[in-house]
Amino acid sequence: MSNEVKENGVSRRTVLKGAALGGIGLVGGGTLLTSCGSDEASGPVTFTARTNDETGLKIAQALADAYTAETGIQVTMQGSGDTNAFQDGISQYLQGTPDDAFQWMAGFRTNFRADQGLLVDVSDNIKNLGDQMPAGFVSGATNPSDGKQYIIPTTWYPWGLHYRKSTMSELGLDPENIATWDDFMKLLEGTQKKGLIGYAMGDKGGWEAMGTFSILNVRINGYDYHIDLLNGRQKWTDQKTIDVFNQFATLIPYMNKNFLDISWDGMRDLLLQKKCGAMMMGSWWANDFLAKSQEDYDDLWIVPFPEINPEFARDSIDAPVDGVCAAANGSNPSGGAAFAEWCGSEAGMLAAQGAGDTSLYANSRLDTSGYDAFNKQKLAVIGEAKNVMNFLDRDCRNDFAGTIVGPAIQNFLKNPKDVNGIVDSMQEAWDALPELS
Amino acid sequence: MTLTAAKSKSRRRRAFTKGDRFTLSMFIGVPAFLHIVWVWIPALLTIALSFTYWNGVQLSNIRWAGLANYDTIFTASPQFWSAMRNNTYWLLWFSLIATPLGVLLAYQVDRRIRGHKIYESVYYIPVVLSLAVIGIIWRFMLGPTGLVQVLLGYPGIEDAIPIFGNYDINTYVILSIASWRHIGYIMLLYLAGLKSVDPSLREAAAIDGATEWQSFRKVVLPAMRPVNVIIIVITVIESLRAFDLIYIIYGTSTGWPILGMLVFQNIYGQSASMLGAAYAVILLLLSITPIVFYLRTVFRDDV
Repeated sequence: MSNEVKENGVSRRTVLKGAALGGIGLVGGGTLLTSCGSDEASGPVTFTARTNDETGLKIAQALADAYTAETGIQVTMQGSGDTNAFQDGISQYLQGTPDDAFQWMAGFRTNFRADQGLLVDVSDNIKNLGDQMPAGFVSGATNPSDGKQYIIPTTWYPWGLHYRKSTMSELGLDPENIATWDDFMKLLEGTQKKGLIGYAMGDKGGWEAMGTFSILNVRINGYDYHIDLLNGRQKWTDQKTIDVFNQFATLIPYMNKNFLDISWDGMRDLLLQKKCGAMMMGSWWANDFLAKSQEDYDDLWIVPFPEINPEFARDSIDAPVDGVCAAANGSNPSGGAAFAEWCGSEAGMLAAQGAGDTSLYANSRLDTSGYDAFNKQKLAVIGEAKNVMNFLDRDCRNDFAGTIVGPAIQNFLKNPKDVNGIVDSMQEAWDALPELS
Repeated sequence: MTLTAAKSKSRRRRAFTKGDRFTLSMFIGVPAFLHIVWVWIPALLTIALSFTYWNGVQLSNIRWAGLANYDTIFTASPQFWSAMRNNTYWLLWFSLIATPLGVLLAYQVDRRIRGHKIYESVYYIPVVLSLAVIGIIWRFMLGPTGLVQVLLGYPGIEDAIPIFGNYDINTYVILSIASWRHIGYIMLLYLAGLKSVDPSLREAAAIDGATEWQSFRKVVLPAMRPVNVIIIVITVIESLRAFDLIYIIYGTSTGWPILGMLVFQNIYGQSASMLGAAYAVILLLLSITPIVFYLRTVFRDDV
């Protein structure tokens, strides 16, 4: 490469060298070896954005353009189409002719595919990022089975109670100071009395209500119990798990009755249209509020889910990390890894931010003092927690989370009296799972 | 087989020219080859895979499972029995309501009752739509903020009445939507069959003093035997292979589980496991019975 671009003290050439080395170290990528020439690291890169909406695509295009402007490497961006379908088909996609880089989620969903040889080892790219990448994100992106990283973390967001400040002040309620479960119940009751939905719920997708289950479990039984439960070291039939479902049942009277007819976007619209009080969700859709109007965005707020058991207080939170992976079967895996690395760098973050991305960035160079009030609040919500989780379907085997937990929680929501039957069948299903390979 | 028959057959066979043989072998060989490659090899592989543990990526990870996948399905998958129940509802509904209605309509249209052309068109229109498109149409109509909700007086998301997620009614709603197309389909098939029934048969029955019902049961129905069999088989297969409508309405979350959905959910993507292959084999076994029945009848009638 003739024109070396200095970026964050690391020359692009060393970055790419690292990426190429990382690629060679990968096992099982037969097609990779044929396409892994040293000159190809500078070749054009294709990039799939895991989004279908206008704002998300605009941000992804801005990333591609900024990368091209900085390195001269052509990046072709495309949207993933329906994100659920993209997520469902990811293994097939990665075994076919995938784009070189794609937006993805840290946790089990990355590590499992890394173990199958479908992703490029980006450990060296993470090293290249150096102190830009906080240690917490590096460990969050590390695959426990081999200690390597296969995703470059870019953004993350907390799961918490979202509400509109204007709605709550009109109702004369104060969600900022919910100290106990009783306070929370009073808040929900107050909202409902005024004719609004107390606790918005849309679980048509089967994953949305997992957020409520997880947070109730860590509030009641603690982080260790939750992670152990998701990994089979505790039992679903344990009274402690049953207690969680029973607590969950007390929220159902405050929910909209059509919770199995609407999905997460229905919940978001309920909040956007000021039809509900609280909404338990991750804050990734805040961009949609901003896209609607600055006023709507400024009205949006998040607080941690209230304490239930003083032993665990509010010490845990679901704060999933999203990032960019490079596909081993792409035509330019090392180029994909270099692009992924750049997305995690300060320059990448600034490009996304400039295009209207309101996410929290996984990069220590980014000045958090420039965050808007909502982002600062998101940081504070994550900051008070000692344990950070990746969300239920990223902390747990996919062949259990999607096919067993999702339908079980849907069953529970429509039939909350049958907790025993539901946990029995969940435990039976877990016991019948083959060993992970 | 008599000697002369064998002789004439062998003589006839010898009469094929080289060109004939080539044409015939292409006509038979190419479709047979494609059929074996695209249908039976995958089917046999699926059967083999259903006895393994595998996540569908690295072949080196495949492990022998014996009957474990089937054991899991029958003993530890609550979804399986709901799916069996839903497929059975589907079959019963189609057999007892939708298919008879289609036959009745065809009979009435064939009798050229007043406005029969209008009925014919109205019932036929949904048939040109795939079930996926039908799913999209009805999801929009019945879902929150859909036309039906607005007409019922619940225009907002917050007060939209639960339909697809309401387990007291969703079975009926889904089966009605599926029937919307199935009735027209059956009507069309039956109408084509009725056109081929000699009208003099019915006239003769009428002259002999048969009532409308008697002439239908004793004259038309027996004359329609080949079509009847096709219709029964189609009804059974449509009920078993149902998938697209449910996928469009519920996505992969199995809000209303059916066997086709479980195959997809367990073999595809993030949750890939060979439970999906085992579900597919169960579905194959359930479907193959009516197909064998159908083929036997068709070939017996043809020969």
